[in-house]
Amino acid sequence: MKKIKQLLFIIAFALFSFTSVHKYYVSITQIEYVKEKQSLQIISRIFVDDFEKLIRNRYDSNITLNNNEDEVIIDQYVKKYLLEKIDISINGQAKAISFIGKKYDDDIMYCYLEIENIASIKSFEIKNKVLFDLFDDQKNIVRTNINDKNKTFVLIPEKDKGLLNF
Amino acid sequence: MKKLKYLFLSALFLSVSAFAQDQNEKKERQPGHTNNNKFKQLYDEFSTPNMYRAASGAPGSAYYQQQADYKMDIQLDDTNAKLYGFETITYTNNSPDNLNYLWVQLDQNMRAKTSLTPLIQDDAAQPADTPGNFANKYLTDAFDGGFNIQEVKDTKGNALPHMINQTMMRVEMPSVLKSGESFSFSIKWWYNINDHVNGRGRSGYEYFPEDDNRAYVIAQFYPRMAVYNDVEGWQNSQFWGRDEFALPFGNFEVNITVPEDHILDGTGKLTNRKDVFSKEMMKRYEQAKKSYDEPVVIVTQDEAIAKLSAKATKTKTWKLYAENVRDFGFATSRRYIWDMMSVKIGNKDVMAVSLYGKEGNPLWEDWSTKAVASTLKSYSRMTFDYPYHKAISVHAKEQGMEYPMICWNYGRPDKDGNYSDRTKFGMMSVIIHEVGHNFFPMIVNSDERQWTWMDEGLNTFVQYVAEQDFGKWYPDALSEGQTAYPSRRGPAANIVRYMGGDQDYIAPIMTKGLNTYQFGNNAYGKPGTALNILRETVMGPELFDYAFREYANRWKFKHPTPEDFFRTMEDASAFDLDWYWRGWFYTTDYVDIGVKEVKKYFVSNEPNAEIKKMAEQRGMKLSDLPPLVFFVEEGADDFDTNLKGKSALENSTTLNEYVMDNFTAEERAKIKEPKFFYKVTFEKPGGLVMPIIVEYTYADGTSKTETYPAQIWRLNDKEVSKTLATEKEIVSITVDPKLETADVDTSNNSWPREMKASEFDNFKQQNKN
Repeated sequence: MKKIKQLLFIIAFALFSFTSVHKYYVSITQIEYVKEKQSLQIISRIFVDDFEKLIRNRYDSNITLNNNEDEVIIDQYVKKYLLEKIDISINGQAKAISFIGKKYDDDIMYCYLEIENIASIKSFEIKNKVLFDLFDDQKNIVRTNINDKNKTFVLIPEKDKGLLNF
Repeated sequence: MKKLKYLFLSALFLSVSAFAQDQNEKKERQPGHTNNNKFKQLYDEFSTPNMYRAASGAPGSAYYQQQADYKMDIQLDDTNAKLYGFETITYTNNSPDNLNYLWVQLDQNMRAKTSLTPLIQDDAAQPADTPGNFANKYLTDAFDGGFNIQEVKDTKGNALPHMINQTMMRVEMPSVLKSGESFSFSIKWWYNINDHVNGRGRSGYEYFPEDDNRAYVIAQFYPRMAVYNDVEGWQNSQFWGRDEFALPFGNFEVNITVPEDHILDGTGKLTNRKDVFSKEMMKRYEQAKKSYDEPVVIVTQDEAIAKLSAKATKTKTWKLYAENVRDFGFATSRRYIWDMMSVKIGNKDVMAVSLYGKEGNPLWEDWSTKAVASTLKSYSRMTFDYPYHKAISVHAKEQGMEYPMICWNYGRPDKDGNYSDRTKFGMMSVIIHEVGHNFFPMIVNSDERQWTWMDEGLNTFVQYVAEQDFGKWYPDALSEGQTAYPSRRGPAANIVRYMGGDQDYIAPIMTKGLNTYQFGNNAYGKPGTALNILRETVMGPELFDYAFREYANRWKFKHPTPEDFFRTMEDASAFDLDWYWRGWFYTTDYVDIGVKEVKKYFVSNEPNAEIKKMAEQRGMKLSDLPPLVFFVEEGADDFDTNLKGKSALENSTTLNEYVMDNFTAEERAKIKEPKFFYKVTFEKPGGLVMPIIVEYTYADGTSKTETYPAQIWRLNDKEVSKTLATEKEIVSITVDPKLETADVDTSNNSWPREMKASEFDNFKQQNKN
């Protein structure tokens, strides 16, 4: 498994180079459990052009991301889509995720999500199907920092779930 | 004054070191170790200097390089997207060695059906596949884009024995090629040109179904000589698709035959301009030579559109000649718009050129040629005057690839001509980057196959400088509210996420590109940033720029290795950087420096508890002690609050007596009277040694920044302390206040400890407001 993971990383990061501009599809989601705040904090980084393509295909073909227009309606689409495609269960129970907002940084869109009132985590399960409906070879990398333990998952359409027990 | 300060310091450390010794006495004997000091010289990593490569980093007295000259006739079959070629290579052996055979590179064989490239992709354990991937892999025939070598002959027409090993071909000569001799031979070949948009690749065509035309950006299209040199012998590392090229210099005489209505530009001087230019084009070209501010359009958008439907059946031959280049590339299509502008480099005019289809506009007509001109100026300032007569930027979808005098670049508005900042700055950045590659590696000709970072890293570093210049010189290129060009790579803070990331997926910069995990960060981002930090924070621009220019000038039109770069940077600056190269280039260590502890002291007449204990242990009476100035920590049991607010002289009779005895009244009038004494302990959880940049802020709101050179860590890699004597009270201390060292964890950077909100909390807070 380790080798596959490494390969996926090679593929994921080739995207950032100039002379090798082959297009690979990847998102990175960072999940942190902040016990003092009883909060599970989620930051999802998705390429702007990928998400723009998604919104155009799925909701509205006239939308352009990051041009200072339509941001209110874009927020609605981002929220609707992410909440549909990301499922999180804690201690065996499905949890409601709240969408805090999003911002752009260069070619990446940062999406902020949160689950509140989490007193403790004994088990954690995530399903992340973001962009699987658009790209066959989309990979969603999920990095967790829960109870001081770091773990990385690479989710693909054939294996869209990651599970952790503490 | 110096003496006085020294006295304080020795008083403080006298007590501390005496105790440390006592505690160590009972420890078990430790095993020995080799030299693992972070400042150890790089003798083990570097090759021994020799006649070919000198210890200074310059080419040695016996430095040599081979030469490969090419004469080529190329034919493009636009209907079937095939390329036919015939070349005569004259190879000159300048090495002191006799060569039994020659090696020729057949890079297109990476796309052959028999290519091993797909076989090294680790995809065996995938439990399932999407129907699309499955069909591509198992149900359709793979595209055959390899070279078809039809003949390899000597100048008399005799066939030469040759053997193809994947992307390399060994050619045997009738007799040994002796040192100093030349050998000429010819190769005839053809190949299927690949679709670079769907099939992916650095070269190929983009197909436009709406008008049934192609735009070709063509490179690696001919069998190319491999490099033979003093460090590798013959290159023996195959082209797997990622690590780029190692190529000898030579002269190219290339005739390219394409449909009559195509326009074409490529490496070298166009020697038959009158045959291929219309009168109108000639007139516009002459105007462009005199236009230094705005590009002149040689072929307009309307003229290009007019050619789309009626395709020419006749052909035209474009003749190009290039001297002292390491490679050759060209772009051709009937769809291209063409513009040019002159740029003054030194006392010479260079032509900045752009080729693009109508879908590139309005972005390309506005900015491409200006970005080319600006890049040449910036790079010439940082290295040497651009020596070629032109530089071309060609628009090609999803491309970013460089060749001598010509490069392909992405960045396309949407169908209505609208574009976001992302598209705009992506396009400008890629043009600056790829045009910059003319300097590294086209002229400073490093071995890309072995060391991706040597051209990408150096180029990414100068790209940052050039982007900032471009923003200054063309403020109209910036978007509303921006005051500087938004560079993605260069600033230290932008590499923090990578360097502080999962160590399982990070390789040292000194790793062959093929074997790195995060290619972009490894070969572009980190070395580019490392050089930027070296320039702006460690060495300073004056020392750095001189040395960097020296490296570029020593190795222009030559083949440097990593050590040649490292050595030259030290040789030309008197700056021992072995520690910097070792840490940043040979390891995956990261920067993390913080303030561990701050203790406040006052000067006192009374021996403190530690001294009392020490005297007791040694059986001394306090009256036996020599005259000493004592420090007492604020808040300690023996601290007397009366000491606060008074100067050192007021608090210590011993010191006052000493000053009275040793300083004249005049000197005493000038004496500083520090009231506050601090011992600041810095910690270094990170493996990299770096200067400690500290900002001390005083109670009156003023502040002072101090930089302790990296060598402060030479005897203790974990923590170091400084004692400060100040007249004003220190209220806060911040390490790396301007975020210029790529410190991966800033939570320990300040005293008193600031509880910084996380990125998430910050965003949430902002969003609420």
